[in-house]
Amino acid sequence: MSYLVAFNWGWIAGAAALGFATGWVSPISRVRSLTRMGLRIAFAAIVALLALSLWRVLPGRPGYWLDLGLVMFGAYLAGCVVGSWLRYVLLLRPGRPRDEEG
Amino acid sequence: MSEFSNWVRKWWPGLIPLAALWVAAAWTGTVPMEQHLTARAAAALKESVLDKTQIEVSGRDVRLSADAFSEQGRRTAVDQVASVPGVRMVLDQTQLIAEVTPYVWSIGRDVVHVTLGGNAPLPAIKTRLLEAARSAANGTEIVDQMSLARGAPVRFDSAALLLIDQIAKLKDGRISLANTKVTLEGSAREIGGREAIAAALKNLPEGYTVEKNALYAPPYLFQVNKDPVASTLTLTGYVPDNAAHAAIVAAIGRKFVGEKIEDKLKASAGAPQGFLAAATLALSGLSRLSTGTLTIQDRDIKLAGDVLYPGASALIAEDLAAKLPQGWKQKAELTVKPVAAPVNATICQQLLTGLLAKGTIRFETGKAVIDLDSAGLLDRLIEAVLRCPSSQIEIAGHTDSNGEKDANLALSIRRAQSVADYFMKAGIPKERITAVGFGSERPVASNDTEEGRAQNRRIEFVVR
Repeated sequence: MSYLVAFNWGWIAGAAALGFATGWVSPISRVRSLTRMGLRIAFAAIVALLALSLWRVLPGRPGYWLDLGLVMFGAYLAGCVVGSWLRYVLLLRPGRPRDEEG
Repeated sequence: MSEFSNWVRKWWPGLIPLAALWVAAAWTGTVPMEQHLTARAAAALKESVLDKTQIEVSGRDVRLSADAFSEQGRRTAVDQVASVPGVRMVLDQTQLIAEVTPYVWSIGRDVVHVTLGGNAPLPAIKTRLLEAARSAANGTEIVDQMSLARGAPVRFDSAALLLIDQIAKLKDGRISLANTKVTLEGSAREIGGREAIAAALKNLPEGYTVEKNALYAPPYLFQVNKDPVASTLTLTGYVPDNAAHAAIVAAIGRKFVGEKIEDKLKASAGAPQGFLAAATLALSGLSRLSTGTLTIQDRDIKLAGDVLYPGASALIAEDLAAKLPQGWKQKAELTVKPVAAPVNATICQQLLTGLLAKGTIRFETGKAVIDLDSAGLLDRLIEAVLRCPSSQIEIAGHTDSNGEKDANLALSIRRAQSVADYFMKAGIPKERITAVGFGSERPVASNDTEEGRAQNRRIEFVVR
């Protein structure tokens, strides 16, 4: 795992940055929200893919691409969390003067 | 919290550029990463002893195929690759090389190649054997037909290296090893090569034995040429050692009358058994020729030349055949020397006296048996007697003063009679010969010294 991260750190950092941006804009985004069912399906799909990766079911290149995808997805999610949280802390926290909001 | 959950539900749009990013990462990074892992895996296997190693990386999985030389070596190699950072798993396609019985190895030589064949236990040993062959073959092209196999006997490499060293001594042939048994076939480069190789193989590692030595060496040649015009004996070829050399030169001194010796003999191993006895006997034959050549090739004796009188051919051939050591063969190609012009009694006497001045007719000590060494001189005396067919020949025996007078007289008569018998056997008519003995009555030198006594023990001829 550490080798994979070390070798692809640029792409993973990119995924994290993308996640950060997505997370940052999500509180004010007007896109359609995922339904609860959609969220569950997505979660199940991620768990299934994680299982595939951990049990090393896919051989060779597909296995590598799956691992890379999951790591990038993880970095993306982390970026989303940080982005949303930072926006909340900096701009949306209750009690904060309204004129300071960008 | 429910606010955060609402945000999470709006994270999905980023997945589309994320997918693009992922495709780009996979597109550009897969091959370089595979190359990087291949190099690392190869580096990890650098110290391992493997053959036909192939490393193929797909993603982060390594397919390792190789021939290993031991189970432990095989496992270690797989573990080493598996522990390379970044490798997810190893597809083990390694195998142990075949174990063969009997373990066969060979080195062969023909005109243009030195070929190494059979099995070698390890690549490093194979390389070492090839290098040794290269230096032993001295520029001859090396052909490697060895394959790797397990099951070599202990100290295989030292045995093989010793055998490789012998290839320089071969003209052509093959040295092979089956387990610990060595077989040699072909021809040695030089006389004595077979023996030199056999001697070197005594240093084979313990447990190794020479099962068959079927090497041929070039023929062992010994040649003596007798040239009556220059009165020279030319000796060429080989003798086993310095002692044999001295013995042959001494035998020539006893058997030949006044010839100079041109000695070009060389000492070399490889003489057939019984060489010295056979050569001495054959030299007796040559001493009875006027001109001729004696050739000994391995165990074949060839005597060619001119005998001094008609009956001599059969006598010489008979003598050779009767006394040759076992396993030897002889061939006499003899012609008779043309009879010289007849001479009168005076000249005949001079010829006989002249011959006796150069040599003495020898007998066995205290007996009347003529020594074989005197055959050459006797044949010359017979030749001279045949030139004066109308003369009477008196053969007179003399002894030194040692011993009783009567016994000496009897011995001198018997010795003179032996010579007379020899002459008659050679074809001189009985009527022409008289044998007389004088014992010690007529000394020609002092009987007080050994030298004088030797001069007094003699046969004289009187031509009438």
